[in-house]
Amino acid sequence: MTAPPGGTSAVRGRIVVDRLTKVFGTQRAVDELSFTVEPGSVTGFLGPNGAGKTTTLRMLLGLIEPTSGTATINGVRYASLPAPLEAVGAALEASSFHPAHTGLQHLRIYCAAAGLPARRADEVLDLVGLRDAAKKKTKGYSMGMRQRLGLASTLLGDPRVLILDEPANGLDPEGIRWLRGFFRHLAGEGRTVLVSSHQLAEVQEVADRVVILNRGRLVRSGTMAELSAGTSTAVVRGPNLHPLQQALVAAGLTGSTEADGSLRVQTDDLRHIGQLAFQHGVELHELSLSRFDLEQLFFSLTEGAHQGSDLGAYTPNGHAPAHERTRQP
Amino acid sequence: MRNLIRSEVLKTRSTQVWLWMILPAAALTALSTIGQTYGSIYDNEHGGAAIRYYDIFTTANGGGVALLVIGILGLTTEFRHKTITPTLLAIPGRWTLLVGKAISYAIFAFFYAVICIVVNFAIAIPWLDAKGIPVEFGHGVPGGVVKAFLALLMTALFGLGLGALVRNQAAAMVIGIFYFAIISNLLSVIPWVRHWIYPWSPGGALDAFISNGTIRNTADDVHRLAPLNGGLLFLVWTLVLLGAGGYFSLNRDIS
Repeated sequence: MTAPPGGTSAVRGRIVVDRLTKVFGTQRAVDELSFTVEPGSVTGFLGPNGAGKTTTLRMLLGLIEPTSGTATINGVRYASLPAPLEAVGAALEASSFHPAHTGLQHLRIYCAAAGLPARRADEVLDLVGLRDAAKKKTKGYSMGMRQRLGLASTLLGDPRVLILDEPANGLDPEGIRWLRGFFRHLAGEGRTVLVSSHQLAEVQEVADRVVILNRGRLVRSGTMAELSAGTSTAVVRGPNLHPLQQALVAAGLTGSTEADGSLRVQTDDLRHIGQLAFQHGVELHELSLSRFDLEQLFFSLTEGAHQGSDLGAYTPNGHAPAHERTRQP
Repeated sequence: MRNLIRSEVLKTRSTQVWLWMILPAAALTALSTIGQTYGSIYDNEHGGAAIRYYDIFTTANGGGVALLVIGILGLTTEFRHKTITPTLLAIPGRWTLLVGKAISYAIFAFFYAVICIVVNFAIAIPWLDAKGIPVEFGHGVPGGVVKAFLALLMTALFGLGLGALVRNQAAAMVIGIFYFAIISNLLSVIPWVRHWIYPWSPGGALDAFISNGTIRNTADDVHRLAPLNGGLLFLVWTLVLLGAGGYFSLNRDIS
């Protein structure tokens, strides 16, 4: 059996970024970035402003030439895809429209370019809920409508891979809810969705995996399950928790005592703590679970970017810097 | 390539720009035709000079500035409205895009050139007829009309190349119009420059191509290449601009 062209990266719908680097002048916008996005998943592509997300997506789509490294979709560079719009749908800006074109005209132009039937433009407008604005000039579109039109253009060729840059910007809460369901629907059909976003709560809701960048480098990637493993914490409050604390230690559970006297126990098994409290006659005022918070992880990994300090010097909980712990070989 | 051309035609037809650009193309041709016809008739009536049929029937080229602008719009509009991103996502091959645009804009220019020639004929023929001057299509006129037609086509492609090289729409417009309206005319009158630079410049080459092959006014000491050489040189200028635009500008990162 012979390997497909492009080796293992040639799997339909797989995105492979391998040691991708882009240098603008003296600035390394993207630095030896490597990650893989698997078909049938929604991958959140996260990072603070200037982290290199958009540059990476543009290199992936052949709009920016990498300084070194490769980025492939279905095992080949974007420019080498035989029918690009039928393989990849991408929306990078919410304003890439001629203001004098209607939404329908905009889509029909790219249908023509891709050799798709013009009726496909009507179909995707229906899909994104823009049928009523189809014949309205794009200069009269709200930001939310522009986002939807951008999404519609990604669907023209019914592609297996969708690459979206900040698609939730400008959407109202209803639009964001719709977008969430839309992503799940697309991933459920086995499509690959790579979505960059600042809306971390939304990403946590829909993403199966996340790739987190800071200053052009990968600081963490993995499935949500991998990232959240062991991060759930039980919060316990009461007037006298000392007997319970001893019981927890005896049960092999670890945790800490907060300044307000509450306990934080590293477990997601509240029933076990409740049982121990009952057995030791401890009065509880609160027993709740603090679940994995992507936002918290994001800020801990990208703190240097927000505070202007050196990321390399940041060592949460005394561990090595996050990007050193998690850099892919 | 057929899909790309269909898309470009749709892109242009979907805005009113193509319709509005007919007005300046027709107006500039009309003004040039009126000026040339009036001058020729005046000289004929007052000095007995022969009617300059060749000059009258090649003034369709007066609409060239409009064709230049249409060409410039071809790519600069994509950069101005950032539609270059979805365009390159649909057509990732940048040279393919440039060639497709060139073919599309040659097709547009064909129709504009026809309009310019129709306007020229529609003004000059009835006017000469009304003055009782026989309309003659000798004097190299048919060849001149063909050259005027080709010059309009090439001017549109020259504009496309200029727009590929200078992506800023306003800057490309100013440079293109300023060059053909002022700079080229200046080069043609400055001593030494008019001998050694002007004939090889795009404006000089285009002027030579449209000319009837004779140096009409020796007192002006105008220097031109032979018409065919001028046409070939202008074509080379056009291809150089398209090539340079494709190489330097289109190959840049689209960020």
